[in-house]
Amino acid sequence: MVPYLVAAWILVASLAKIVFQLSRKVTSVVPESCLLILLGLGLGGIVLAIAKKAEYQLEPNMFFFFLLPPIVLDSGYFMPSRLFFDNIGAILTYAVIGTLWNSFTTGVSLWGMQQAGLMDKGVEAGLMDFLLFGSLISAVDPVAVLAVFEEVHVNETLFIIVFGESLLNDAVTVVLYKVFNSFVEMGPAHVQVTDYVKGVASFFLVSLGGTAIGLLFAFLLALITRFTKRVRIIEPLFVFLIAYIAYLTAEMVSLSSILAVTFCGICCKKYVEANISRKSRTTVKYTMKTLASSSETIIFMFLGISAVDTSKWAWDTALVLGTLLFILLFRAVGVVLQTWVLNHFRLIPLDRIDQVVMSYGGLRGAVAFALVILLDRDKVKAKDYFVATTIVVVFFTVIVQGLTIKPLVKWLKVKRSDHHKPTLNEELHEHAFDHILAAVEDVVGHHGYHYWRDKWEQFDKKYLSQLLMRKSAYRIKDEIWDVYYKLNIRDAISFVDQGGHVLSAAKLTLPSMPSRTSVSESSVTNLLRESGSGARLDLQVIDTVRCRRDKEDAVMHHVLRGSLYKPRRRYKASYSRHFISPDKQERQDKEIFQQNMKRRLETFKSTKHNICSSKSKARLKKDVRKKKKNDALNSELPNGKPHRSVTWQETAPVTMMVNSEEEESDSSETEKEDDEGIVFVARATDEILQGKKTSSTGCPSHWGSLDICPSPCIIPPSPTLAEKELPWKGDQDSLAVYISSETTKIVPVDMKKAWNQSISSLESIASPTGVETGPHGKKLASPVLEEEPQSASPTMPEQRTCFQFPNHVAKSGRSQSDSSPESIEQQELQPLMVPEDHTRMSPSAGPSNSRWLIQFNRPTRL
Amino acid sequence: MGSSHSMSEEIQELAEKTGFTSEQIEHLHRRFKQLSGDQPTIRKEHFDNIPDLEFNPIRSKIVHAFFDKRNLRQESDGLADEINFEDFLTIMSYFRPIEMNMDEERLDHFRKEKLKFLFHMYDSDHDGKITLQEYRNVVEELLSGNPHLEKESARSIADGAMMEAASICVGQMEPDQVYEGITFEDFLKMWQGIDIETKMHVRFLNMETIAQCH
Repeated sequence: MVPYLVAAWILVASLAKIVFQLSRKVTSVVPESCLLILLGLGLGGIVLAIAKKAEYQLEPNMFFFFLLPPIVLDSGYFMPSRLFFDNIGAILTYAVIGTLWNSFTTGVSLWGMQQAGLMDKGVEAGLMDFLLFGSLISAVDPVAVLAVFEEVHVNETLFIIVFGESLLNDAVTVVLYKVFNSFVEMGPAHVQVTDYVKGVASFFLVSLGGTAIGLLFAFLLALITRFTKRVRIIEPLFVFLIAYIAYLTAEMVSLSSILAVTFCGICCKKYVEANISRKSRTTVKYTMKTLASSSETIIFMFLGISAVDTSKWAWDTALVLGTLLFILLFRAVGVVLQTWVLNHFRLIPLDRIDQVVMSYGGLRGAVAFALVILLDRDKVKAKDYFVATTIVVVFFTVIVQGLTIKPLVKWLKVKRSDHHKPTLNEELHEHAFDHILAAVEDVVGHHGYHYWRDKWEQFDKKYLSQLLMRKSAYRIKDEIWDVYYKLNIRDAISFVDQGGHVLSAAKLTLPSMPSRTSVSESSVTNLLRESGSGARLDLQVIDTVRCRRDKEDAVMHHVLRGSLYKPRRRYKASYSRHFISPDKQERQDKEIFQQNMKRRLETFKSTKHNICSSKSKARLKKDVRKKKKNDALNSELPNGKPHRSVTWQETAPVTMMVNSEEEESDSSETEKEDDEGIVFVARATDEILQGKKTSSTGCPSHWGSLDICPSPCIIPPSPTLAEKELPWKGDQDSLAVYISSETTKIVPVDMKKAWNQSISSLESIASPTGVETGPHGKKLASPVLEEEPQSASPTMPEQRTCFQFPNHVAKSGRSQSDSSPESIEQQELQPLMVPEDHTRMSPSAGPSNSRWLIQFNRPTRL
Repeated sequence: MGSSHSMSEEIQELAEKTGFTSEQIEHLHRRFKQLSGDQPTIRKEHFDNIPDLEFNPIRSKIVHAFFDKRNLRQESDGLADEINFEDFLTIMSYFRPIEMNMDEERLDHFRKEKLKFLFHMYDSDHDGKITLQEYRNVVEELLSGNPHLEKESARSIADGAMMEAASICVGQMEPDQVYEGITFEDFLKMWQGIDIETKMHVRFLNMETIAQCH
């Protein structure tokens, strides 16, 4: 019955959220928390009307053990830690001194009111009771603050100060509450000086202890996630579990549990995010947000429902009004006083408007309510009054202040946070800043904030990260790199989003469209122009216009691919509890990433000359890495067969490949999901195999040929292995672009040369993704040229070029960038033209059927 | 302390020029003496004596900036061999926090000054443009603290950043248009919306204790 009720309540609350969001107008004015409270009031009223008694209310135990932790964890984990620590001084001041100030002044003032006879005789409370009440009512509530401020979008500093305060004041609240509660229970007469001392001491114990527990568990969590490589599927669980255990541990030894979870979240994030796979990261993020959001929903709804229970109420107007007045007044006074002091130390002073928002944003919430419910009625005689007052205060702050804060912020023209996307330059400059400022502090000889931050970062880099991060992770864990990577992904996704339609349209405009030809030509010329001096495309290549037949064939391929491609995928469906097979989406991401880089580069014509050479090397590094094992063989052996045999007989190279593959994937994707365990190995093998084959024909590495398709009808006279592999293709050596089999990276052909150049730097391995995401477009041309001398049979470059570009151009007018999707598709198309049986026969095709490499390999066996 | 009178006058003068308080100037002067070994000027080698600076990845760029004549508000260009205390103060004044009572115009000027300092740091060949090569150098140095990021990736990051800069500053470029590098105007454009004045500052107070124990 109980679980059912719980589920039902959650469902109701969630449905309510949907309903609220239906009306943008309402939610833009009224914060959701208000609506939820009102809904709770309504529901509570209905229950009351039906059952004649209030059945449900917010149980403190439920609140503290189940509802609060997710919210705190969420806020800790996603706390902008840099911002938080930049403002830690202000936050701590407000959280500690502000809360102390608020509770004492409120408590004493209320006591004064009572002494003055302004309150009802029923309010039987002494100074201690009022101080107790003051302590629970004065703490700013993280849940309420978050709920309201998230919708207001004030500037970051302001937000972090109010929000950080609400989180960190928990320690103060808990201590004050406990101390006064014990005083009240002992009776004021029995309180001795030592008790006060104990109270002060316990503050430090509770806050520092809570923080220490948080740090300890953060360390533990980071360490654990370092070793979850083989159990990716439960990675997210560790995050929640350990954070929760931290919370419970702190609670158990009566330390500040909120502090414990907050610091656990803040501190573990960096390492955990680096260690866990991308999927796990998404899972953690969503689960955390889901839990926090539903907890918040339930809390507010139950606040509303609890308020209906009038049996617990005892109303005293003077107390209620007095409390409201005092908390508002003293909060404002406290903020102004503290800010005045703080501004002497802050480099960016908080101005008057900030202070207004901070005072007004001091919302009280469910924590206060839960604490007041926890009071013992026998000891605290005025409990009913306190409950009523707390409910009113909470409702007032959440509803009235919550409703008005938005207009207020607008009216005061508070600096809003500008949600501009992070740019690479910004990130770079900020890093530069950090170093410059640290340096200037060094020069000046002032050991200030930057100095210590710098020191900490060095320590972190030297010891902590080494200990807590996987090798593969810390290698590339760098904020700049991170931003770079994210930007690329974002661009890529938006690009694909935009390009999707065009693409399909292109597919539909079918055979022998004159426009196509022209487009293709123009694209080639474009290419030439863009690649500038670096481009040494054969003029012949450009001018050759493919025969119509070829074009139609190519188009036909696309059509076929379009219609046949999907069913194949589906048949791969499998179920595993422990591993998630890489899905299409994931692969798509990778593809997009590659494409995107191309596109970015394309818009970046300016620096191309410079980039070209160096870049290609960079991008090639990876390949080179993989390749190095095989290289000796490759260069010696002109033809593919020996290689093949080598691959199969030698186990050593295979394992090597696996390693490199792993590294690469790790670095490139900040951990490519390697959920698939064994399959992984198999795939690597395939790659090798393929690599050898391709390389045998003079193609530098295992990259599949990309432009493959032009026309099946053109088969070079001498059937070398390469030609066997791709019957419709001339040979791959001359290909301008390659797709790596597993991640479909588009890489310029010029591997051999680049490899030669960079062989010295082979040792340095993990070249992250970005590396290969260079200006492919530019590359297209020059690589070809350089490659040509080496190529075994530079059969028909013209076709290739012509073929490649038309499609792209047709799609979005960007010649190069689009080439990648097309080619990828083409690549996928290949298998279709090959009987499936052949695939099966190939040894490599075993476990990793779904991989394209295999598809790639198939033709070889023909 | 025979020169105390002229000293205080000098300080007054410097305070007006650089915006530091006389107290701060005294602190800085002490530090300056310490660094230079009681010489009237500081040379590059003196910066080697600062142990904490050693691990700074862009150390050379920063030290360079101290001797960059463009930063010293001198009309001439190039590098100074040594800087005197006034120059030292001038450099430091780039890192002053904003003051509450600044009006829009001065704030803007202040901001520009700070940005110029930064720009000059990037523009190592003094041609008024941050070319790709220069940018790459900076990024490489920035990332040199991370032994696991190769030069190549630093390069691609620099390239990406350059591209971004080009797209911000020029917008959609024609195919054969060439983006030579980031000019100061472009640099300003890139920094729009970022409060540099809230970031690029150092506290110059309270350094007495530490300065002395060195």
